[in-house]
Amino acid sequence: MRRVVFASGKGGTGKTTFTAITARLAAEDGPLVLADCDVEAANLPIALRATVTGSEPFAGGSKAVIDADACRGCGACQPVCRFEAIAADEDFWRTRAFVIDPWACEGCGACVPACPYDAITMEQSRAGEVHTAETVIGPMAFGQLVAGEDLSGKLVTEVRTRADAIGVEHGIDRMWIDGPPGVGCPAIAALTGTDLVMAVTEPTLSGEHDLMRLVTLARRFDLPVAVVLNKADLSASGARRIRERMAAEGLDLVAEVPFDAELAALPERLARGEEFAFPDTPGMDGVRATAAWLAERMGAGS
Amino acid sequence: MTAHSAPHVGRITVAIASGKGGTGKTLVATNLAVAAARSGSPVALVDCDADAPNDALFLAPDAPQASPVEVPLPVVDESACTLCGACRRTCAYGAIRILGSKVIVFPELCHNCGACVRVCRPGALSERPARVGEVEWGSVGGALTAPAGVDVVTATLDIGEVKAPTVIRAARKRAAVFNRAVTILDASPGVACSAVAGVRDADVLVLVTEPTPFGMHDLELAVALGRDMGIPLGVVINRDGAGSADVTAYCTAQGIPILARIPFDRRVAEVYADGGLVIDEHPDGAAWFGGLLSAVRELAEEEA
Repeated sequence: MRRVVFASGKGGTGKTTFTAITARLAAEDGPLVLADCDVEAANLPIALRATVTGSEPFAGGSKAVIDADACRGCGACQPVCRFEAIAADEDFWRTRAFVIDPWACEGCGACVPACPYDAITMEQSRAGEVHTAETVIGPMAFGQLVAGEDLSGKLVTEVRTRADAIGVEHGIDRMWIDGPPGVGCPAIAALTGTDLVMAVTEPTLSGEHDLMRLVTLARRFDLPVAVVLNKADLSASGARRIRERMAAEGLDLVAEVPFDAELAALPERLARGEEFAFPDTPGMDGVRATAAWLAERMGAGS
Repeated sequence: MTAHSAPHVGRITVAIASGKGGTGKTLVATNLAVAAARSGSPVALVDCDADAPNDALFLAPDAPQASPVEVPLPVVDESACTLCGACRRTCAYGAIRILGSKVIVFPELCHNCGACVRVCRPGALSERPARVGEVEWGSVGGALTAPAGVDVVTATLDIGEVKAPTVIRAARKRAAVFNRAVTILDASPGVACSAVAGVRDADVLVLVTEPTPFGMHDLELAVALGRDMGIPLGVVINRDGAGSADVTAYCTAQGIPILARIPFDRRVAEVYADGGLVIDEHPDGAAWFGGLLSAVRELAEEEA
């Protein structure tokens, strides 16, 4: 399996747009598997109107719960918690029971043995779901994290595992991954074990700053990085900085794609149910150039 | 529900968040900070997007100070370890494994909770500080933020590290020391632990969205999170007019106030691209962010 992951550091640079369109073009040469690894805000299934064919629950970690009747308010648990999740709330004078803040609890369980009255138990939380789906381009795996859960990296790994299984099942050996923003645990989980990081950036100070953080991360994993400069005409000085930076870093600048309202609106039109119809615009030329470059790297697929 | 009680009189903490990335959180947070400072309220702006912190690109502190963020990481004294396995069994994260006759700690899985150290009878486990990121802070003074000034605090996760929430909490603790009239939290995108660490205990949540089906979908997730957390919230529609999703209808149906609309305007994107502040470099900027500041204050007062 050869895998390309679209990433950016900064959000909103056009990852999903580039994933969807280059995958659509690549699918003309052979089959591929799609994976949306932004499990906090999965947008590829919306753009491609994915039909979910199967879902599996993703069991998360657990959270501590204090039984208010059993708690004597001694406070032995409180200093044990390093996440400041145990507090005496405004009703403490009445209840004499500590409470757990589920938003702060990381489920370590250190408080359980600290309680002399066995008042604390750990309760399993459902952290999300992994979906298998069909799209006009090919089969897809994606996930949705339950809001507020802290296992997005682990869920990304589950989505990747599901996407691999889909590939084996269908005998497909190419994968297009829509990655999450950032460089933290979900990004690391999305980049791990891929063959190419396709960084989609924009000529803004933020875009450049976050791109360089992504490049550093990718290099840490010995992954090749290629860059697409989206909305390239937004800032002449910004575009020049990115070009210079890419040259200095020895990174491939695959294409410069001018801001293109028609191209930017394409995912939205697809989401509304329109057929794939590519605009005949300079922006689309840039995406085609990106797809052609990718075709050489990723092969035709079988 | 938490120990957190009513906000201090006259002090307000505003979190800027969104489900989808790239909707304009940084744009809103930085310009709102300047608007508040100009209105006479001293501001602490905390960049809680530790993966991709950008606020200081727009509001650069004059003489920033920095301090590392460290976590306690378990280390094994092999001479004292009896390989009893108690640490491995107690670790909720699978961060401790026993391979052959060695106890191995996986730092990227460890949550630094200390549970393993506590259960180690022979006392073979101890903890050493391990760096995961940095907090940088400093003042942005001068005419830009006069009269009240803005202190910018930035959480930066070290590349390759995974403990963004820890770094975010450290940045917020640093900002709490400043005790400014207005604290603005520029949160991470998404709805996971990093976003939660950035918005937790805020008085008001401002969700920045764009009027596309994607912005809409991710906005609904962020609204659910904000409501679960019990934080009064409102919406800023950025790139208003650029997409087909009817955010206004959704907000009306949900009873969510629309705090500001920033139109789809190439000039806004150009100013942002070059690190400029829309409040100064766009003719309507002062009106947009002045209006947002008033709307945020109103929302906070309603709920207080």
